[in-house]
Amino acid sequence: MKTAEHPLRILMTRMDCDGHDRGARYVARKMLDSGMEVVFTPFSLPAEVVHTAIQEDVDLIGLSFLTGAHLVIVPEIMRIMDEQTKARIPVLVGGIIPPQDISSLKQAGVLAVFPSGSSVDDIVRFVRENVRKR
Amino acid sequence: MFSEETVKKSKELKQEWETKVTRKYREIKPAQTLSGLPINPVYTPDDIAHIDFQEIGIPGAYPYTRGIYPLHYQYQPWMMQQIHGYGLPEDTRQRMDLLKKGGMEGYFGNLVYNLVLDHPSQCGIDCDDPRAHGLVGVCGMSFSSLRDMEILVEGLDLDKCNMSLITGDTCYYLLPAFIVAAEERGTPRDKLRGNSMNWPLKGFCMPNPVFPPRSGLKLMVQLIRFCTKEMPTWNTTNFISYLAREAGANPVQELAFIMQWAIATIQACVDAGLDVDAIAPRFGFQISLGMHFFEDIAKIRALRRMYSKILKDRFGATNPKAFYARMHVHTSGGAYTAQQPMNNIARGAILALAAAMAGTNSMNVCAYDEALGIPTEESHLLTLRTQQIVLHETDVTCVGDPLAGSYYLEDLTDKIEKAANELIDRMDEMGGFVEAVEKGWLQGLIAEESYRANEEIRKGERIHVGVNRYQVEEEPKPVFRVESDTEKKAVERLKKLKKERDREEVRKKLDQVRAIAREDGEDLIPAIIEATRTYCSQQEVMDILKEEYGWRHMKNC
Repeated sequence: MKTAEHPLRILMTRMDCDGHDRGARYVARKMLDSGMEVVFTPFSLPAEVVHTAIQEDVDLIGLSFLTGAHLVIVPEIMRIMDEQTKARIPVLVGGIIPPQDISSLKQAGVLAVFPSGSSVDDIVRFVRENVRKR
Repeated sequence: MFSEETVKKSKELKQEWETKVTRKYREIKPAQTLSGLPINPVYTPDDIAHIDFQEIGIPGAYPYTRGIYPLHYQYQPWMMQQIHGYGLPEDTRQRMDLLKKGGMEGYFGNLVYNLVLDHPSQCGIDCDDPRAHGLVGVCGMSFSSLRDMEILVEGLDLDKCNMSLITGDTCYYLLPAFIVAAEERGTPRDKLRGNSMNWPLKGFCMPNPVFPPRSGLKLMVQLIRFCTKEMPTWNTTNFISYLAREAGANPVQELAFIMQWAIATIQACVDAGLDVDAIAPRFGFQISLGMHFFEDIAKIRALRRMYSKILKDRFGATNPKAFYARMHVHTSGGAYTAQQPMNNIARGAILALAAAMAGTNSMNVCAYDEALGIPTEESHLLTLRTQQIVLHETDVTCVGDPLAGSYYLEDLTDKIEKAANELIDRMDEMGGFVEAVEKGWLQGLIAEESYRANEEIRKGERIHVGVNRYQVEEEPKPVFRVESDTEKKAVERLKKLKKERDREEVRKKLDQVRAIAREDGEDLIPAIIEATRTYCSQQEVMDILKEEYGWRHMKNC
């Protein structure tokens, strides 16, 4: 059970059959270093992301993609989240994301996109300033 | 290696140099390689006087530091093997034909291909499985059955091709599919050339292992046993250190890990009664080459030396070909940046030059837009041109191992070998590669090293051009996209196939695969070949292997 003093709790995840997680691990570790809690686990189906986020009672979902599937998978995660939660859990997306895809992801409801090469300090700062405990 | 007189004079010279330097440039900080080995600002003969000249040797002779062939590029250029794969098999084939037209060639002008499957196929998941949704053909070729292979190789002269089949844990279906497709085209399996990856041990550096390491080794032995018997010109196993390096390992770790991976594999084969002199000549390496020019070249020279010593000293090999560390260099994807992607063209040229100077047998240069997606036709051809420019315009190909004898490079090669051997010894003490992976020790080292490297860039201690210095505002560059109906078409094709095939025959052959897999029987690969002929799908076979060799059996394997 979370208490009022509980730190921000984040689900950091990537697709199971994507073998790349170096970036996601680094961001997760910097979040841990800054006092946040991180649940780090892969997913096979969009519904699993929502399920894990609810079960783990997280304040934020971080999705990492190298697969090129972000334009298909992210909107599905948002749709399932709308079905299963009262209020959307904020979502960040990172990884190999062509800059021209950022507006579509934001339209789908993503809070912010941090493509490959983004500063990890910017990511942690953004989370501190924009994500509240639920 | 030098006379006492030379060493004495060289020390005197260096003393004079140091006096001058200390007076003038007091504040210069000592440099280090990526692996943390010290780099002196200048090297002289006394730095390598302790090295036995025979350790450096001559190209084509033990311990093969300088290359495995007496004459290499002077006689035969490296194989140009640009990785390709996207969309449906016919899309991938189009790109293969484009690269062929662009001059992609293997040894003696033969065709070479370097096929990569999409993410679901690499995990043994068919295109019609819900887990594949969104991923079909996006980051590699969609592949679910023999039918896809038949379409891919339609019209190809397979006895004149060298076909590298990139998939790690699903090569136990992909190779059988290739064999059947080739036989249908009239090329018998013993005439096939190319490479299976045979990678189930990769789980320590990639987070999605299909098999636990011990049962992974059993599958590796299965494929090696089969090919040794029936496919004498097929390269069975690719020891890939690329994945560890890109996950964060430094060059010394990369080298130590891959040597231990090779040791574990060869030992498993020997334990299964295979002859090291028969199996080792069909092993090869896939190495990452990063921007740390001299350290990466020294690493490759050290690798050839260490591997031949291991084969001789640990395994008592006597067949000269067993000592050869044949290698494919895949330039580092991690060296590239999404920011100012055109800068990656410059990086690719440097990496291709380094790979040639290191004496690789085969090369893939990453395309400049790979930090954004898979390559466009233009950028793909540019990777080929990069290789061709190095090959034809630089003259680095005139001399075997052209950097040999450099005081710096020989010292670095020696130091890397020693540092990697220390890590190899530590893993031996733990019980070997598999134990080091099962304990998580190896994964821990990679994670720490990856974190350290990322922190150096974050703090600006290491400059990555366009990322932490010289940043600019940029307009998005066009990226390559696969056709949006790829998934739909792939699924329709598989559904149709499943309707048309002889269901009873499929079930019978799959049952046979399961019965043999359950016992880890010797005829596993032949049984899969027979199942593949019935158009059973990749996932149907892989699900059986996952059940019989997978994590469920962790305690017993």
